[in-house]
Amino acid sequence: MEYAVEIKGLTKVFKEKKAVDNVSFSIKKGEIVAILGPNGAGKSTTILMMLGLLYPTNGESKLFNADARDKKVREKIGVMLQEVSLMDGLKVKEIIGLFRSYYPNPLSIEQLIRLTGLSGEDLNKRTEKLSGGQKRRVGFALALAGNPELLFFDEPTVGMDISARKVFWQTVRELADKGKTILFSTHYLQEADDIADRIILFNKGKVVADGTPEAIKGNLLRQSVSFSTGHPFPKVQFLQLPQVSDVYVKDGRTFILTSDTDLILSKIFTEQLDVYDIAIEKGRLEEAFEQLTVEQKEAI
Amino acid sequence: MQIFMNQCKIEILRMFRNPYFIIWSLFMPIVFYFIFTKVVNTEVPDKALWDAHFLMSVATFSVMGSAIMTLGIRMVQERSEGWTNFMKVTPLSGMAYFTAKMIGQSVVHAFSIVVIFIAGVLLNGVSLSAFEWIMSGLWILLGSLPFLGIGVLIGTMKRVDTASGVSNILYILLAITGGMWMPMEVLPKTIQTIGAWLPAYNYGNGAWEIIRGQAPELKNILILAGYLLVFMVLSTYIRRKQEAV
Repeated sequence: MEYAVEIKGLTKVFKEKKAVDNVSFSIKKGEIVAILGPNGAGKSTTILMMLGLLYPTNGESKLFNADARDKKVREKIGVMLQEVSLMDGLKVKEIIGLFRSYYPNPLSIEQLIRLTGLSGEDLNKRTEKLSGGQKRRVGFALALAGNPELLFFDEPTVGMDISARKVFWQTVRELADKGKTILFSTHYLQEADDIADRIILFNKGKVVADGTPEAIKGNLLRQSVSFSTGHPFPKVQFLQLPQVSDVYVKDGRTFILTSDTDLILSKIFTEQLDVYDIAIEKGRLEEAFEQLTVEQKEAI
Repeated sequence: MQIFMNQCKIEILRMFRNPYFIIWSLFMPIVFYFIFTKVVNTEVPDKALWDAHFLMSVATFSVMGSAIMTLGIRMVQERSEGWTNFMKVTPLSGMAYFTAKMIGQSVVHAFSIVVIFIAGVLLNGVSLSAFEWIMSGLWILLGSLPFLGIGVLIGTMKRVDTASGVSNILYILLAITGGMWMPMEVLPKTIQTIGAWLPAYNYGNGAWEIIRGQAPELKNILILAGYLLVFMVLSTYIRRKQEAV
């Protein structure tokens, strides 16, 4: 299998604080991967190390099985970073033209306009006169200028208005359909869920989960079946199920934490367990994710 | 090569669009020249020599300023705004990026020199031999290297405010102690002694010698080369340290 990205044991320590802690994963060509996590989880640091812009304290990172600093690799990647302003004193079309000249097979200006939603009027503006949203669009155009195979977007939609976001994700899907490999970071679960076919969940510098959006959501969600029962309940029998993470009693009610509430219900009925007043609690995804964020903040 | 030429072109374009460059490198030196040759100092013994001498002073003053300030501040700005880092993910090598900046800067310097020389001819009818014009122009262009070195050194600073403050003060101090505003002879003795070892005086003096039909002193060349070396070593060292993060 050929990998577009391969990182092994990547660790970055800033002044005794581990920003990224022993992170390993590989990304296959053509995958759309979201790096999801709260602010300060180590997403950007990881991306900077992948791009060779930051030296890891430990571990290694390869793109297309080579060093990210190789010219050959750079010709195949497109990048949008956070907090990068545009070179001033240039018109939009000049800066885009400059970037196109760096690559062997650039996209045409027309294609770039269509993909990024820039207007013809924007092209003649100086970069320092653009609004924040327009700047992001130009940044997007610069990332696509070289018709890259592998794209990195670090928090791409920050600073974009709703319509710009729409265009952005539409284009990302289009690029994905063309077989590009795309890696983006976000702290919006919704974005990751909508776009990516794989989510790598970061928290406190570590990968805490890695899988399809469905699997990740299942993990994030706390679903439970609860009921009252007059008899001793066969707790062990349920705990043995792989879908059950915990069984406990609270305020006279028994709670079964599970990723599959339907299964628990059918089990209760088929085994004709003597329980009553059954209730199902499904946590909300955003809440579950916010929980993660809050824990992170408290840790700081 | 095409990429590199394009990069140089863009850098030149950016400098010409910078209003500070136009004001500080072209407008101010010419205004100075006008004041000190037309308004005051009109009674000097050898007016023609003074007009040519002071033309060299303002030309060196202009190029020195652009080398120290424009380059240094721009480098800090591009780094603090993430641009320098972003360029590293493009196929353009860091070396090409930096060299294009230097070449762009030098082309713009050449332009400033020509404009200021023309101003001298138009305002005061300064008359030099073709050889003297060319040699003094080349001297000012090549002699600006140590000041580009200072610019790069200032370019390693973290904040634009610091860089702009430091480079302004340095620029003014160098210009005064180097005899670019008024001749060295009228400055206090101690300042003359110190100034003689600073890069600005040696830079200006080379041009002053040329318009008097002499070659720049060897001492001028050696001191400028020495400063260039020191600044290059220093900025390389600082950059290494910064990149080790």
